[in-house]
Amino acid sequence: MAGFGRRGFVALAGSAALGGPAALSAGAARAAEDVLARVKAAGVLRVGTETQFAPFDFLDNGKAAGLNYDLFAELGRDMGLRIEFVALPWESVLPGLDSGKFDMVSGPATITKARMERYRFTPPIAEATCALLKKAGDTTLNRPEDMAGKAIGSGKATSQLEQLKKFSATLSPPATVREYVDFSQAYADLAAGRIVGVANSLPNIAYVAAQRPETFALMATPFGEKSYFGYIGRKDAEYAGLMDAVDGAVLKMRSDGRLTALQQKWFKTTFETPERVASPAV
Amino acid sequence: MTWAVLSLLLAGAGVTAAISVVSVIGGLLLGIAICGASLARSRALRGCAAVYVSFFRGVPLLVQLLLLYHALPRLGLDLPGIAAAVLGLTLCTAAYQAETLRGGFVNVPAGLIEAGRIVGMTARQIMLRVRAPIALRLTLPAVVNEAILILKASSLVSVVGVADLTRTAQNIASSNYRPIETFAAAGALYLLLNIVVGGAGAGLGRMVGRGR
Repeated sequence: MAGFGRRGFVALAGSAALGGPAALSAGAARAAEDVLARVKAAGVLRVGTETQFAPFDFLDNGKAAGLNYDLFAELGRDMGLRIEFVALPWESVLPGLDSGKFDMVSGPATITKARMERYRFTPPIAEATCALLKKAGDTTLNRPEDMAGKAIGSGKATSQLEQLKKFSATLSPPATVREYVDFSQAYADLAAGRIVGVANSLPNIAYVAAQRPETFALMATPFGEKSYFGYIGRKDAEYAGLMDAVDGAVLKMRSDGRLTALQQKWFKTTFETPERVASPAV
Repeated sequence: MTWAVLSLLLAGAGVTAAISVVSVIGGLLLGIAICGASLARSRALRGCAAVYVSFFRGVPLLVQLLLLYHALPRLGLDLPGIAAAVLGLTLCTAAYQAETLRGGFVNVPAGLIEAGRIVGMTARQIMLRVRAPIALRLTLPAVVNEAILILKASSLVSVVGVADLTRTAQNIASSNYRPIETFAAAGALYLLLNIVVGGAGAGLGRMVGRGR
C-alpha cells in the first residue's frame, strides 16, 4: 500500500479507521440514495480541498486561487451546479470523502494503480511526471543522470518518491534519497543547502521555481514513468452517476480547448493528456 | 514579511483566541458540573464522572477531533469544522479542569469546614463561603495553566479545517515557500496571546487573593 496518500500515509490509516464501508445502519441508509440526484436537487457540488498544493489549489494573499478553482467554475457552469469547497489538511481530505463531508476531492493526486483500487479518478487534467528542482545557479545538475551520488529529497508516500527511488537505483552510485513529510520542508532544506535537489511533479516545482527565481531553478527534463494528475471520487455504485457526469464535463473541456487554456494560464506550458488512464504506468 | 501576510496571521490568531476562550470557559462550566458529580454521594454520579474524565483525558485530542468530525456523520450528526473544534476542545479541557477543581475541594482544610459548622453555618453557606473560595484560590494557577495549554493545543483544530493561526501559517508557507519566517511569526503571536492569558491570570489571582 506504499505510495497511497499523495502526501501522508495518515490518510490511509484515517480512512481505514473511520471511513470503512458503511458500518452503521445510518450510514447504510444514506448511502443508498443516488448522489447525482442529491447533488442536482441541492444544486451544490461539495468538493474537498486542502489549499496547500500550488499551483492547483492555494491561497494567494488569503484568496483561494489555482487551476482547480478555474476548472471547477467551468465544470459547475456546464453542469448547472454551484461549487462549494471544503478546505481540510490533506491527511483529513480522503477520510472526509469516505465520511460524506463532500462529494468528491479536487487534489489532484497522481493516478496510480494502488490508488485506483480504492478510488475512482477523473480523466487526467495535467501531467504528473517527475522533474527536479535545484538551487539557482547550480551548474552540476543538468540531466537526470547528474543526480548520481547526490542528496535528493522528495515527499513521503508520494508517487514521485517511488519514481525517484526507482530512477536512482539505475544510477551508479545511486542518489541519497531523503524523505520529507511535507514538500515545504524539502524546499526549505534545498534552500539551506542540506540537499541539492527536490523531485516532484513538473507542474508543482515549475511553480516553485517561478515564485522564487533568486533561490530555485528547474531542471525540466522529466525522468521515470510518465504519469498524470486526476481528481478523486468514490467507487461506490451510488456515486457512479455523479462521477460519469464529472468525467463528461472534464472531457468536454479537454476537447473544446478550455483545459489547455487553463494549463497555459497556471503552468505557462501545456500537456498532452490522454482521455483516460486505464492502466497507469506507476 | 508583508503587511498582507501579517494581517492574515492576525486574523488566524483571532480565530485561535476566540475558540480557545469559548472552550476554556465552556470547559470550566462543564468541569464544575463534573467535579460536582465526582464529589457527590451517589455512586452512579461518581462513576459517570470517572468514566468521562478517563475517556477525555485518555484519548488524544487529535483523535477526539477526528472522531467528532469524521465519525459522527455516520450516527447522523454532521458537525461543521468549527463546531467540532470548539466541542472537542471544550469536552477535553472539561475533564482536566474537573480534576483540578476536585483537587482544590478535597484540599480545603477539614478544620475550616468544622469551624464553619461550629459557628452554625448551613452546608450551603459552608460551600459558598468556605469551600468554594478556598478551592478557587488553590486551583486558579492550575486553571490558568490549563488555559495556556488549551490555547496551544488549539493548533490541532486545523485537522478539521478551521483556519486558526497554525493552519493559516501552513497555508501561507505552502504558497510563498518561506516556511521559517512564517512559522516564526506564528510562534511569536502564540507567545503574545499566552502572555496576555498569563497576565489576566495573575490579575485574577490578586483579585481572589484579596480579603485573605
